[in-house]
Amino acid sequence: MLRDDRFARAGLLAIALVLVGLYLFPLYWMYVTALKTGTEISAWPPRFWPETPDVAVVEVWERLRMGTFLWNSLIIALGTTAVVVLLGTGCGYALARVRGLWMDVALFLILMMQVLPSSLMITPIFVAFSQFGLLEYPRLSVILAQVAKLLPFYVVLVRATFLQVPRELEEAALVDGNSRLGAFLKINVPLARNGILVAAVLIMLQALGEYVYSRSLIQERAFQPATVGLQSFMGPNTSDWQGVMTYAAIYVTPILLFFVLLQRQIVSGLTSGALK
Amino acid sequence: MTYQIEIEGVDKHYGAYHALRDVDVRIPTGQFVALVGPSGCGKSTLLRTIAGLETISEGRIRIAGRDVSSVPPRERDIAMVFQSYALYPHMTVAGNLMYSLRLKGMSRAQARARAEEIAAITGLSDLMHRYPRELSGGQRQRVAMGRAIVRSPAAFLFDEPLSNLDAALRVHMRSEIRKLHNRIGATSVYVTHDQIEAMTMADHVVVMRAGRIEQQGAPLELYDRPVNRFVAGFIGSPAMNFVEGLVTEDGRHVRLALPGEPALAFTGRRPPGEVVVVGLRPEHLTPVGGDQAGGNRLELPVALVERTGSASYVVSDTEPSILIAATERLAGLRDGMFAVAIDPACVHLFHSDTGLALDRMG
Repeated sequence: MLRDDRFARAGLLAIALVLVGLYLFPLYWMYVTALKTGTEISAWPPRFWPETPDVAVVEVWERLRMGTFLWNSLIIALGTTAVVVLLGTGCGYALARVRGLWMDVALFLILMMQVLPSSLMITPIFVAFSQFGLLEYPRLSVILAQVAKLLPFYVVLVRATFLQVPRELEEAALVDGNSRLGAFLKINVPLARNGILVAAVLIMLQALGEYVYSRSLIQERAFQPATVGLQSFMGPNTSDWQGVMTYAAIYVTPILLFFVLLQRQIVSGLTSGALK
Repeated sequence: MTYQIEIEGVDKHYGAYHALRDVDVRIPTGQFVALVGPSGCGKSTLLRTIAGLETISEGRIRIAGRDVSSVPPRERDIAMVFQSYALYPHMTVAGNLMYSLRLKGMSRAQARARAEEIAAITGLSDLMHRYPRELSGGQRQRVAMGRAIVRSPAAFLFDEPLSNLDAALRVHMRSEIRKLHNRIGATSVYVTHDQIEAMTMADHVVVMRAGRIEQQGAPLELYDRPVNRFVAGFIGSPAMNFVEGLVTEDGRHVRLALPGEPALAFTGRRPPGEVVVVGLRPEHLTPVGGDQAGGNRLELPVALVERTGSASYVVSDTEPSILIAATERLAGLRDGMFAVAIDPACVHLFHSDTGLALDRMG
């Protein structure tokens, strides 16, 4: 009995490892290619480990002007996250507290907004922004467009967190002499802190990886984020695969590290609402 | 007499649902009032309207003479103890006690001194730096009480504060709360579904059902003179027995719908031939020797005898069954017939349709 169990477990583990390997292979290939020289990249059969690892980080950083791109990415991601948190936290709270038909309608509409793909929305957004003259401020216009896209996701996540904060705590604060806003800021927000943090991190990661809006709304090279920058180096005639892969590795590694470090909080925040 | 809380003609609607119907309660300063009733009767809603956590659709609420009907909770100067205690989980015991004082604008040092003082009264002095999650149920309960007392409010509101405790602790806290009230003397409103809690703790009991006040008064007045069948059945433990009956021709006896159609005398007089519901409290049915003659007697077949030591309960083998609570051991009793007597003054009569208690002309 016990033996069978152990075999079954080992089998399942093997399957899981194979699937994870399959899933992570592109990531592995990115790192490996970044370390290969041009001749080695085109060699057949491909090598799974470079003969003479060639680290080109500094060279790529300077040649492809990554400093500017990453700076733009960071501005757009932080700006988007800040606006989403500022607007979405109160909204999630209201949707968690007020019950009724109209709130259900509102929640449904919010969920609907998530369904619309950015590639579909970009044309009307572009036309509207150009009419308002917002395209003069390309990074701001990307931030606004992204806020509209990501706000529903944030609101739904944060609403779930606020649902976990017992209503009686807020009522106790009201009776103890606090105003509604005071009770929200002093009782609800501190208790929903973990959930808010996790949702904000997820929003920021999404904003970092965004491509469609930035590609369409930002014409000028100097304002483009890293995702668009990377794309401009790739084409049918690309030969600098090492440069492209190094660029991608530089861009992705900090995000990966961040995610791995916060992995436990993110998972528990998503599943439990992070109160207890 | 000055009234600390006055509730006049209060109505509350939730959409189509009528939660409170024309509620009037006046609470004299320093009294301990219990709101009691089955779940969904509106007692908690009434408490929450006093606190200002629910708005009222109609009527008026005054606290300490001031009309607070449309005043937010923080300006009502009341303290509330919640069923779940609602302690702020991200604050220590000291933080919980000081929170309302700090909101009032008291300095940190003053608030801490006051919190220490209250902690000494409630026995929390050693726990001041702990968080609520590190406390036992009874300790949390005491923090919740302390948090209410610390403000010296115009009134205390309790929302079923003991229902999360185990039976032994509940009895203990019951007397603690009452002692505390005797010492502080602040007006208190206490919501409970447990009529024993209401009877033992309160000066004034308000019995509610379906958003309406059925009867209010001193605990023993409710026990002795319930105005209707609902109050009669709700107050008192074990609950009152109800049997259908027919008033006899002399208008002074009622014939019960039990085997043998026994007749019981009651005080006063009712129209002969009237169909009534007779209420008999289990503890008013006293066992008498089988051969003893006379008295207001009832002879019943025995279905079951339960002995707890302090009391014995006999369930009759009739439809409906009659419960008898006796302080005797009833040692030999097993089955067969069992005779009880009842004082005519303890025979309650109710209208068979409306359930209202029937007046008896002298």
